[in-house]
Amino acid sequence: MAQLKIVFTGTVGAGKTQAVEALSEIPVLKTDVQATDEVVDLKDSTTIAMDYGEMAISDGETLAVYGTPGQKRFAYMWDILSRNALGIVILVNNSRKDPIEDLCVYVNNFKQHIENTTAVFGVTHLDKAKNPAEEMNKYYTFFEQQGYHYPVFPVDARKRNDVNVLVESLLAMLEVG
Amino acid sequence: MLLKKSGTQFNVDVIKSKLSEAIDRCDVMDAAAAVTIDGHLVAKIEARDCPVNRIASMGSSMMSLGDTMTAELKMGVCRNLIVENERGFLVLMHIRDDLILVTISHDKSSLGMLVSSSKICAESIRKAL
Ligand SMILES: Nc1nc2c(ncn2[C@@H]2O[C@H](COP(=O)(O)OP(=O)(O)OP(=O)(O)O)[C@@H](O)[C@H]2O)c(=O)[nH]1
Ligand SMILES: [Mg+2]
Repeated sequence: MAQLKIVFTGTVGAGKTQAVEALSEIPVLKTDVQATDEVVDLKDSTTIAMDYGEMAISDGETLAVYGTPGQKRFAYMWDILSRNALGIVILVNNSRKDPIEDLCVYVNNFKQHIENTTAVFGVTHLDKAKNPAEEMNKYYTFFEQQGYHYPVFPVDARKRNDVNVLVESLLAMLEVG
Repeated sequence: MLLKKSGTQFNVDVIKSKLSEAIDRCDVMDAAAAVTIDGHLVAKIEARDCPVNRIASMGSSMMSLGDTMTAELKMGVCRNLIVENERGFLVLMHIRDDLILVTISHDKSSLGMLVSSSKICAESIRKAL
């Protein structure tokens, strides 16, 4: 039987590894190493191959949860990891300079995959903004302009409930679609 | 020349000269590269037409998976990874915790020599840094 899997991708520091850790019921297989570049200004470690966790979903099935590396030089892993995924979760770090531009990088790279399956979006690091609700409007407006019919949620990748909303929404879309 | 990164500095010239020595000493080594564990190329020598730029980040992903699998199996430290191909070999190993050596040979009967020369090269870089 093919493994049921979903993939978390998105910008460096958006919280992909954190999200997989929040969800996983097994110890997460991580490939984080110490960063030697400007990423250290953000955090100590960065993912260079993948994150892997598992969680139970309905019917006693196990959902495999993968996290990709965020940095573009690891883009070959994006392809490898998204093969046969049920859908893609794209996390956007709202505290970066141009989060909409970041978002576009991942939408473009995963375009084919998103069209074949589906996607949900999570906006992270919103607690650092003065007015989180206003920040979210930026995304709603952009999605409307682009004609993207994908859900976008404010999430804190450190909170299991927040991350779970993304997964449930993705699974619900698959059931309907 | 120092490769200036906000986190780590490497003496590129020293590393490059050690890679060059390794290739001179080992006939079957076609290319050698030093890569940071997070996938930046620090130095490379390509003796034959054997571009390694794109291999740098892939090498770090592979090495980290090797390290992760080794830890998962509690088999100590991952010494090296060998990729055996129809037309040659690739060897990956740690120079230090934060630096990886990737070497390439197109000679199909060269594995032993490639691994031992790579070990010597990694050791010489470690001592020089
Ligand atoms: N303040 C705040 N911190 C967050 C939020 N979401 C995640 N974080 C933190 O941001 C950091 C994200 O780190 P990772 O999970 O390693 O990020 P990543 O997306 O896996 O990054 P790469 O693997 O390097 O691409 C962690 O330190 C989290 O605790 C959020 O909504 N608010
Ligand atoms: Mg990560």
